[in-house]
Amino acid sequence: MSPERHLRLSVGLVAVFLAMGLWLEAMIGLRLGGWVDDELRREFLRLGHAHGGLLGLVNVALAYALERLRTPAAWATRVRVAAWLGALLVGVGFVAGGLLHGPTDPGLPVLVVPAGALMLVVSLVATALVRPGDLAPPDVAARASEQR
Amino acid sequence: MRDHESDGARARRWLYGPAIAWFALVGLGLLATALDGDAWGSLDRSRSAVAGSSACRSCHPAAYESWRRTYHRTMTQRAGPPEVVLAPFAGESIDYLGFRATLTGGAAAPRIVITPAGGGPPTLEADVVMTVGSHRYQQYLARLDRGGGPEEVWRLPVAWHIGERRWIHLNAAFLEPEGAHGDASEYLRHLSRWNDNCALCHNTDPVPGLQDSGEYHTRVGELGIACEACHGHGSAHVARHQNPLRRMLGARDPGDGSIAHPGRLSPGTESGVCGRCHGNRISADVDAVLREGDGFVPGEALADVSRPIFLGSSVASDPEGTRALFAQRFWPDGTPRLSAYEYQGLLLSPCYQEEAPGGLGCNHCHDMHGARPELQVRAGMEGDAACLSCHDRDALGGGDRPGGHGGHGGRVTCYQCHMPRTTYGLLQGMISHRITSPDPGALVGRGDQPDACTQCHVDRSRTWAAEAMAGLGLAGTSPTRAPAAVESWASRVVLDLVGGDPIQRGLATHALARPEATGADAGARMAWLVDALEDEYPALRWMAWRALKRLAAEPSAVAPDRRAEVTAALAEFDTLAEPSERLVIIDRLRAALGAGAFAARPERREQLQEQQERVILWIGE
Repeated sequence: MSPERHLRLSVGLVAVFLAMGLWLEAMIGLRLGGWVDDELRREFLRLGHAHGGLLGLVNVALAYALERLRTPAAWATRVRVAAWLGALLVGVGFVAGGLLHGPTDPGLPVLVVPAGALMLVVSLVATALVRPGDLAPPDVAARASEQR
Repeated sequence: MRDHESDGARARRWLYGPAIAWFALVGLGLLATALDGDAWGSLDRSRSAVAGSSACRSCHPAAYESWRRTYHRTMTQRAGPPEVVLAPFAGESIDYLGFRATLTGGAAAPRIVITPAGGGPPTLEADVVMTVGSHRYQQYLARLDRGGGPEEVWRLPVAWHIGERRWIHLNAAFLEPEGAHGDASEYLRHLSRWNDNCALCHNTDPVPGLQDSGEYHTRVGELGIACEACHGHGSAHVARHQNPLRRMLGARDPGDGSIAHPGRLSPGTESGVCGRCHGNRISADVDAVLREGDGFVPGEALADVSRPIFLGSSVASDPEGTRALFAQRFWPDGTPRLSAYEYQGLLLSPCYQEEAPGGLGCNHCHDMHGARPELQVRAGMEGDAACLSCHDRDALGGGDRPGGHGGHGGRVTCYQCHMPRTTYGLLQGMISHRITSPDPGALVGRGDQPDACTQCHVDRSRTWAAEAMAGLGLAGTSPTRAPAAVESWASRVVLDLVGGDPIQRGLATHALARPEATGADAGARMAWLVDALEDEYPALRWMAWRALKRLAAEPSAVAPDRRAEVTAALAEFDTLAEPSERLVIIDRLRAALGAGAFAARPERREQLQEQQERVILWIGE
C-alpha cells in the first residue's frame, strides 16, 4: 500500500466511523426500540464507533510516522496494510458483534476484534523498532552507502 | 531480490502471525466447544446447587435489576440494614387483649417486649432477626427455642401495616374472632414457626431440615424469592457458561437444558412455577418436605411433587376433617375465595391452555421482570388488553361501544365482569383468577356466594341482576329458585355486609368503597359501613375503617359541616381498642353520617346477624 493510499484510507476510516456517530445519535433521538431497549447492542455499537474512529486516527498518525522515520519499504508497505486492516477489524467486529448479539454476549463476529488489535499493535511496535537501514535489500543498501 | 522477498515474508509473518494464531486458537476452541457433550443438552438439574442471584448478575444485568425492584426480592430479609425494617421500633406500644407490646431498638436492632397489661413478668421478649413482606404489611421473626432447637425461628404476633403506617396485631390480620381478653395463648395465636411454615413459600430453595430429634436445621438457598425460585438451581448453568465460546455459540439456542426459562415453557409448566406458592397444595410426602424441602424443580411438572387443593380435596390421614377445612376456602361452585389460590383459579378457567404454545398461563398476563413491581402485570396486558390479545373486540360485539357486548360500554372493563373481586386476601378484596361469565340467575335464592353484578351495583338485589342480564341480551341461567325472603330487605351487598360469613362481609366492605360502586351515593355507603365497625372480627373492623376513610376523602361523601367531625372520629378510631372505646366513636360517626341500613327495622338486622353467627369461620390470611 502506498503512503498516499494509506493516508486517504485512514482518513476515510475516520470519516466512516464518525459518520456512524450520527446514526447512533439519531437512534437516541428517535428512541428506537432496538437501541434504547437493548443495552448490550448499545454498548457494542458505541465500542465500534469509538474504536473505529480512534484507530483510524492512529492510522493517520502511523502514516506520517512511517514517512518521518523512513521505515524500509519492505516493512512500511505491509505495516500500512496490517494497521489499516487491524483498525477496520476492531471497529467492524464490535459493530457486527453488537448487531448479532445473543442474550448475554456479543455475537461471534466480535472474535475478529482481538485479531485486529494484534495486527495494529504489532504494526505500531514494528514502526517503532524497524530502523531505516534494517532489513534493506543489498542493492539498496549499497546505493545508500555510495551516496553517503 | 530474493533477500528483499524474504524480508517481506518476515514482515508478513510478524505482522499477521499473532492474528493468525488467534484465529487458529479460537477456531479450535469453537470446534472443541461445539463437540463437548457437557456443554449442550439437558442435564439432571435436581443435582445442581443454588448459585445465588449475584452469580446471575454478570450475564443478566437487566433481569437482575428488574428483579431487584420486586417485592419478591424483599419477601424475606435479614434485619439490620436500615432499609429493611419498615416499622419505626421507636418505643411504640400496642395495647390489645390485655397485653402491651412495646417496640424498641430502631431499624438496626429491633426488639419486642410483650407484657401483661396488669403488670408481671414479660410474656415474650425477642430480638427481630428477619422480616417477611415489604408490600402490604411487614411481619417480624425472632429466634426462639420453643422445643425445636436453637435454629427455631418464630413469627411475632404484631406486624407493621405499610399503607396505613400502623401496627396491627395478627389476630386482626386473619379472619377470625378476637380471642379471650387476658389469655396469653389467644394473644400469641399467630406466634407461628417460620421453619416449617413461612420459610417454604417466602424463600428460594427452602429446606426446613426437621431432624429425628425434633430440632430444625433450616437452610435456604437465598432469602426471599430470588432468580432460582423460578429458574431452578443455577450452579450447573453457571459452570456451563463460564466458557465464553459456549455463550456465543449458544446465543441462538433457546433450549439450554441447564436452566428453566418460564417464558419458553408450556403454559401448564410455567404456571406450575407460580403455582408452587400461589396455589396452596398438598405435598406427596409431607415428612420428606419437612426434612429436605419439596423437591420441585422449576420447568418440571408441579404435579410430580404435589396436588393443588380444590373444593373436595382431602388428606388421607383425616379425610372428613381436611375436606371440611379446605371447603372453607372455596365458594360453593368451587371458585377459590382466598388469595394464594390463584393457580387453582387459573386451572379452573376456560381460557387456561395447558399445552398450547402462547396460550393462557400466568406468564400471559404477568411479567416478573417488568417495569412495575405492583401486581407485576406484563407491559401491554394492562386492563382489557390482556383479554383482547386473544378475544376480538368486534367479534364479541364491541364491548367498549354503547349497546355492545355486556351492555355497559367503555365504563366497565373485562375484569370487572369476568374476574370480579370475589377473593379475599391481605385485608382486601382481590380479583378472582377463575375467569368466568357472570351468572347471577344461578345464585338467586342463595346467599352463600357473591356475584359480579351486585359487587358493583351495590344498591341492587340478585334477582334484579338476573333480570338485567336478560335485558342486556347476555346468556345466563334462568332462576330456578324463588328469591330468599331477605332479598326484599336490602341490596345483596348490604345483606352480605350484615349477614354474610366473614369473607362475604369483608368483600362487601371492600366493594362499597371501590370507585366502580354504583347506585348508592358515598354518603349512604358510609352510613352502611359504620355498622361494620362493630364486627366481632377485628380484621373486618379494620377493613370497614379503611373503607370509611377512603369514602370520606370523596368531596360529596360528607356534608361540609360534618366533614371535620367525621375525619376526626376516623382518625381516633382504633380497631384494636376496647369495645366501649370503639362504641363512643361509632356513635359519633352515626350522628354525623346518619342511620345504617336497618335503623328502622332493627329486628331484621338482628335476624341477619343471628344467621351470621351460625357460620363463624376461622380462616387464613
